[in-house]
Amino acid sequence: MENQDKFNRRDFLHKSLRTGIGLSLVGVAAFLARKTNAGNYVWQLDPSKCVQCGRCATNCVLTPSAVKCIHVYDMCGYCDLCGGYLRPETKEFNTAAESQLCPTSAIKRKFVEEPFFEYTIDEKLCIGCGKCVKGCNAFGNGSLQLQAQHKICVNCNECSIARACPAEAWSRVPLSEAYQLRGFENPKKG
Amino acid sequence: MKEKAKERIVLSVVAGIGMVAFLWWFFHNPVRDMKANVPGQDNRPLKTVMSDSVIIGEKFKEYGTIKTTLTGKWPRFRGADIDNIDKEKIKLIDKFGSSGPKILWKVELGDGHAAPAIYNGRVYVLDYDERKKDDALRCFSLETGQELWRRWYAVNLKRNHGMSRTIPAVTDKYVVTIGPRCQVMCTDPINGNFLWGIDLAREFNTEVPLWYTGQCPLIDHDTAIIAPAGTSLMIGVDCKTGKVCWKTPNSGKWKMSHSSVIPMTFNGKKMYVYSAIGGVCGVSGSGRDKGRILWETDKFMASVIAPSPLVLDDGKILLTAGYGYGSMLIQLVPSGDRFSVKILKEYKPSSGLASEQQTPIFYRHHIFAILPKDAGAGRNQFVCVDENDVTKILWTSSKTDRYGLGPYLLADGKFFILNDDGTLSIAKANLSEFQYLDKAKLFDGQDAWGPMAMADGYLLLRDSKQMVCLDMRTK
Repeated sequence: MENQDKFNRRDFLHKSLRTGIGLSLVGVAAFLARKTNAGNYVWQLDPSKCVQCGRCATNCVLTPSAVKCIHVYDMCGYCDLCGGYLRPETKEFNTAAESQLCPTSAIKRKFVEEPFFEYTIDEKLCIGCGKCVKGCNAFGNGSLQLQAQHKICVNCNECSIARACPAEAWSRVPLSEAYQLRGFENPKKG
Repeated sequence: MKEKAKERIVLSVVAGIGMVAFLWWFFHNPVRDMKANVPGQDNRPLKTVMSDSVIIGEKFKEYGTIKTTLTGKWPRFRGADIDNIDKEKIKLIDKFGSSGPKILWKVELGDGHAAPAIYNGRVYVLDYDERKKDDALRCFSLETGQELWRRWYAVNLKRNHGMSRTIPAVTDKYVVTIGPRCQVMCTDPINGNFLWGIDLAREFNTEVPLWYTGQCPLIDHDTAIIAPAGTSLMIGVDCKTGKVCWKTPNSGKWKMSHSSVIPMTFNGKKMYVYSAIGGVCGVSGSGRDKGRILWETDKFMASVIAPSPLVLDDGKILLTAGYGYGSMLIQLVPSGDRFSVKILKEYKPSSGLASEQQTPIFYRHHIFAILPKDAGAGRNQFVCVDENDVTKILWTSSKTDRYGLGPYLLADGKFFILNDDGTLSIAKANLSEFQYLDKAKLFDGQDAWGPMAMADGYLLLRDSKQMVCLDMRTK
């Protein structure tokens, strides 16, 4: 009787193998489920890869695009001569339509104190064309950056901008890091 | 009857709807919420209130004296010959070696890009003390970094991408500086005694440039050459008395740029070349017509100009500016007692040699520069062109060796290139290829944009907050 109750070597190997395979399957399933859970991942643009080609404005399924310019104030120089606000060839640094680079006048310029000016984005007017971002990168600190606004973005399964992006700057990122602004540490959402 | 009544009702309804639609169309203004973008919506004050309380050179303090045998000179912006080439016969290192760069001393400086001048073992640098709100000319020992004296004056500045950004001009008898708010000061180079001062904003109605003054003064035979670009375009000031000897009228109302006045001699005529906001000109620097405009052009119209005109052979001048503007190659053509200007080439930074901040180096009929960040594939690379074809890049430092807005100079047949982050690279001055030799990180700095200075084998360089002296001599 004692010998029958005893766990023999063959049974031990069988059970160990089955348990191992079972645990592996559960692990892989959990990993894949987490990875593919679209609710926790969103599309976002990496500003360090963005080449400001203008396709964010034209390829989004929404009109106007869910991509908007965001101003990272920590990086801004608050310059009178702002490359993101003013056309490169302009000689007058003012708010005249002919001086502005933005096609929809979505950037507002306000005098702070000599010699500083503050620039804010009117999100309703921004179409995500990236012209200001290009100007800011060419001239200034790169404080104007394009980002998908998640309160507008419908988070398509396959983002049509990502498909058209020549710089492969778009990727799915965890919801906790939904905004990929550069120039300072990303705030982590709880 | 019923049919007619129906028709009338339908017609009346249609007419009513039509009338309502017409009235709505007539009275509705779809753009009633739109406002025209016109100047002045940013609430910019009409005129900046200028402080007239600056007393140039009012304060002085001496810290020590030195006796030195050093005779090397880097007496002004771009060195003795204004070409950014050190011509001393001193052998300099090719590599930093296992022990790394030999840092002799470091000095904390105020936020800015003002660079030093060196004269007979003394270092002169204009520095802004943000805490005390003082603009000071500081004199140091080249060998030890000990501060010898400082001459300063109170002037209110706000941090704006750095504050001080000019280089003193030094001779045996004078040091001339231009401060961030356009205050010109002349002192004795040995004891720091104040000689004279001119407030360009107050006396010549100069508009202080964006991010403060970038123009470095020039001393030519005891005359300080300054471009106020206000009521006068350029002036010559007797260094002994501080009196203005000659003035060039500013009929085009050009404004001061960050570029400096560069001397040039062509066709036997000495002239001072200045690239202002509004145009470029050559002002007579010799003879009875000193101060007269010999030639000018308003075709070079960049909004911001930091590099100075680069004088090439045979009356050619390369003009370049950053922020997407590009470059222009002009040719002076003698015309009676004046000159006409012929534009040889004009191109964007992606189509040839250009520079955003530093003035390129002209050496053995070739031009060397770091391309700006908007130069396409060649962005931030150190490149070389032949002076006869400035749009054909002969070689680059390649994608793996990109630099920023930092300075570069040539000494002992080698280029010394400082990156924004404080990394110093050495490359052989080779016309046929970029021949990298070595590099070393000197400090964890940022915005190391101030030009370097070299004399007696000592290399002075800075980032936005400190100045470092390296011994570059071979053992």
